[in-house]
Amino acid sequence: MTYYFIILAAGFAGSFHCVGMCGGFACALGRDPAGRMATVERHLLYNTGRLATYCFIGALAGTLGQGLVGQALPGSLATGQRVLALTAGGLMIVMGLQFFGHLQGVHRLVTGFGGNSMVVSLRNLIVAPGRSAPVALGVVNGWLPCPLVYAFAAQAASTADTLQGFLTMLAFGLGTYPAMLMMGAGGQILRPAWRRRGVWIAGAFLLVLGAITVARGVIPFAGHGAMM
Amino acid sequence: MSAALCHHCQLPLSGPGQTREIYGKSHCFCCYGCCLAFQVSHGEREEPEAVGLLIRLGVGAFLTMNIMLFSLLIYSGTFGSEEQGLVQAIHFVLWGLATPLLFILGQPFFAGAWRAARGGGVTADSLVSLGTLSAYGYSVQQTISGGVAVYFDTVAMVLVLFTLGRYLEAIGRVKAMRSLTPMLAAERARVVVVEDGHDIEQSVQAITSGTIVRVRPGERLPVDGVVIEGCSECDEAVLTGQSEPQAKQPGISVFAGSVNGMGELLIRTTQAGAATRWGQIGQLVRDALDRKGLAGLFVDRVAAVFVPAVLILAAGTVLFWGGRGPLDQALMAGLAVLVVACPCALGLAAPLATAIGLGQAAQRGVLIRSGGVFERLARIQGVAFDKTGTLTTGEMRLQGVVKHAVAEDELLAVAAALARCSDHPVGRGIATAARARGLALPDAHDLALRPGEGVVGEIGGVSAAMGSATLMKSLCWLDPAGVTAGSSAAPKGCSSVYVGWGGTIHGQLLLSDDPATEARSVVAALGKMGLDTCLLSGDTSAAVAWIAGVVGIERWRESLSPTDKVDALRHWARRQGPVAMVGDGMNDGPVLAAAAVGIAVGTATDLARESADIVLPKHALARLPWTIELARRVRKTIATNIAWALGYNLAALALAAAGLLQPIAAAGLMAGSSLLVTVNSLRLCRASISRPSPASNEIEAPSPVAVAGERMKREKTAPRVVRIGS
Repeated sequence: MTYYFIILAAGFAGSFHCVGMCGGFACALGRDPAGRMATVERHLLYNTGRLATYCFIGALAGTLGQGLVGQALPGSLATGQRVLALTAGGLMIVMGLQFFGHLQGVHRLVTGFGGNSMVVSLRNLIVAPGRSAPVALGVVNGWLPCPLVYAFAAQAASTADTLQGFLTMLAFGLGTYPAMLMMGAGGQILRPAWRRRGVWIAGAFLLVLGAITVARGVIPFAGHGAMM
Repeated sequence: MSAALCHHCQLPLSGPGQTREIYGKSHCFCCYGCCLAFQVSHGEREEPEAVGLLIRLGVGAFLTMNIMLFSLLIYSGTFGSEEQGLVQAIHFVLWGLATPLLFILGQPFFAGAWRAARGGGVTADSLVSLGTLSAYGYSVQQTISGGVAVYFDTVAMVLVLFTLGRYLEAIGRVKAMRSLTPMLAAERARVVVVEDGHDIEQSVQAITSGTIVRVRPGERLPVDGVVIEGCSECDEAVLTGQSEPQAKQPGISVFAGSVNGMGELLIRTTQAGAATRWGQIGQLVRDALDRKGLAGLFVDRVAAVFVPAVLILAAGTVLFWGGRGPLDQALMAGLAVLVVACPCALGLAAPLATAIGLGQAAQRGVLIRSGGVFERLARIQGVAFDKTGTLTTGEMRLQGVVKHAVAEDELLAVAAALARCSDHPVGRGIATAARARGLALPDAHDLALRPGEGVVGEIGGVSAAMGSATLMKSLCWLDPAGVTAGSSAAPKGCSSVYVGWGGTIHGQLLLSDDPATEARSVVAALGKMGLDTCLLSGDTSAAVAWIAGVVGIERWRESLSPTDKVDALRHWARRQGPVAMVGDGMNDGPVLAAAAVGIAVGTATDLARESADIVLPKHALARLPWTIELARRVRKTIATNIAWALGYNLAALALAAAGLLQPIAAAGLMAGSSLLVTVNSLRLCRASISRPSPASNEIEAPSPVAVAGERMKREKTAPRVVRIGS
């Protein structure tokens, strides 16, 4: 349980990064002319769409991890999981370092893929009326290339379990919920200086989490304790 | 700190950042995400049709991801055998999620299948409907009876992937429509009618024969008729392909669609406004486009064979198992065959490859009207070209000077000074040449344009003239060198302009409409690709033959009217197989529409763009071989995609027919085949890296002067050929 709280907290810290990027969408989604409740509903729907994507990515990553551990290294589940944990932890550290401005080349490699059609899609959804559009916006938004999501998806994969992968991303998604909802509720985008600090906090959390994950790979039993 | 800020999130850039050009402006971003987000908040939006489809897709994806999530939990063995009650409950949840999904995403497919069925046909829609409804029905039965084999995830995957394919197609279409906005101006043109000395504006549709119409300088003529007052030159190139403006004076016929030159004309119409040649050409285009739209799609053709085969297999399965066990089990086995019959990868097979192809083309400025164009372009056997503006630049250039007892620059300066009052391409060509040499032009007075002949005026108190031999003869000026007598006749493909002053002809300027720099290499590249080429032009025999020789086309037809062009093309296509036509003028509209693939070049008239399937960017004829190569690659990718998709399904079908299909196997096979199709399509992006280098736009071409001089000799040196993607 502690583990999911850590993820939740990391998601919350990471959401300062989200505020900079996806916050733009939440702001653009704006207020509903039908009133305050309609606006809240609109943003809840948007964030639920986003959460659904994260949960799906988590379950998928968990299943893939499970598949890899079960098939690539048959009979040695512990070894497989260790390799996975090391990879995921390494990836999280790389992503964390990017938040401090390092390893930009890797960043481009990871994120420079298939974005243009998504751009057009999102642009249309932001202005479309009705209740379906915010859900759709959230769903598509969730698939946007984002280092934070990749990092946590890697974490989900390292659990090598569908349910745990799903829960990991659920915790992460819920962690990003408050900040994103706040953005939608008319909150102004934080000043650059504050956002910069937020990104650093997000990066620091990623580094710590990456280190824990790597440790789990090196000292398997220590890591398992945290999962309980 | 004065560090640069990311243009989206306004954070200081820690590194060099990513610089991207968006909507013509350069922007700097800290990450790719910000680059995307910026583009989302700035720029154009799509048409409502595509947006509606996207919302449908988004909500469908929401439901699908939830279905997949629960299915993954079941498949991964999260629940032990003691938790079967929970699994049953999840089945009901899946049912609850799949039902709205079937309505939201399935409805367009069911409607399409119903339409096709009423017409007695079978399309990809039929396949989707058959597969999803069977899977849904089967799963509902299993859920209620407490069985384990539920295929709600299959239903979801098929519907989402096919809808995604439809969406990709829709945005491709929307983009193409936006770029090629219908502009058949003939029917919407406004006309200034002169009635009792007053000008009244009317719609061209209301014009009857015998109406007096005023056409101001530079305007496009809206009607056919005869000039009754005024002198001018009309550019009929878009109508007839003749590169030189035609002189118009009282008594001469003028045609709708041509562009008036420097003089105002009063015209008595000889046709009703709706019956002009311009209007008829527009009608021809629409007819041809309608015919072309009927060609069936590859995927539908596959479905037409596949669906009956699957139905037979399902019936066979029921019969086989019916003879060996209880009927309900046999029916379920038959239904299982139908469940896996629908290859969800098929939904993506064509649209994904096509969308990537369209994107690749768009990145290089090549606009393609629809995905079906790739299919046709890949099959062409030959390419026909128009001459003026397509293989030539459409601009006259000074090629040589023949002088008599004066300096070359002086001759050119006088001609350029006189040319100031003319908007004729020859005049523009002379002015450009003078500017290029940095000549100071003398002041010219009393300039008078003689339509079809030239210009006369006064320079420094001396009368001066520039124009055709006819003009010089009519002036009865001395011709000491005998230039007008043909002793130094212009090389083929060149026009002569005589220049004289003070009663003497001092020399002759030679101008020609250059072949486009890349024309020869494009023709050579097409030859290497196994495509035959042909030149269809409305221009005179000499000009056409000259250009054909220069660019290396062996087959040409000259003096063709728009209808003749269509006939000539059809005649050629009968022998050659499907052929593409490249053109730009209004006279090319019908032939572009009649060709298997019509290709307009960037400077094309509205009508040509409207009729074309492909529009190449300005001065980028060099991209034609690349585009054809791209189309061939897209077609090949689609074919392999379909083969993969069907191959996977055949494996699943074999399992189903044997009564061995498990939901996890069905889901795995579908996901695997979709992934394979996606990866195979993405290879198109990688392959296209070997695109034509920017240098290929400036491909070495024989110098026009050398060509004019040595036109009869075939150059032995092979021109550099456009490098096409391997």
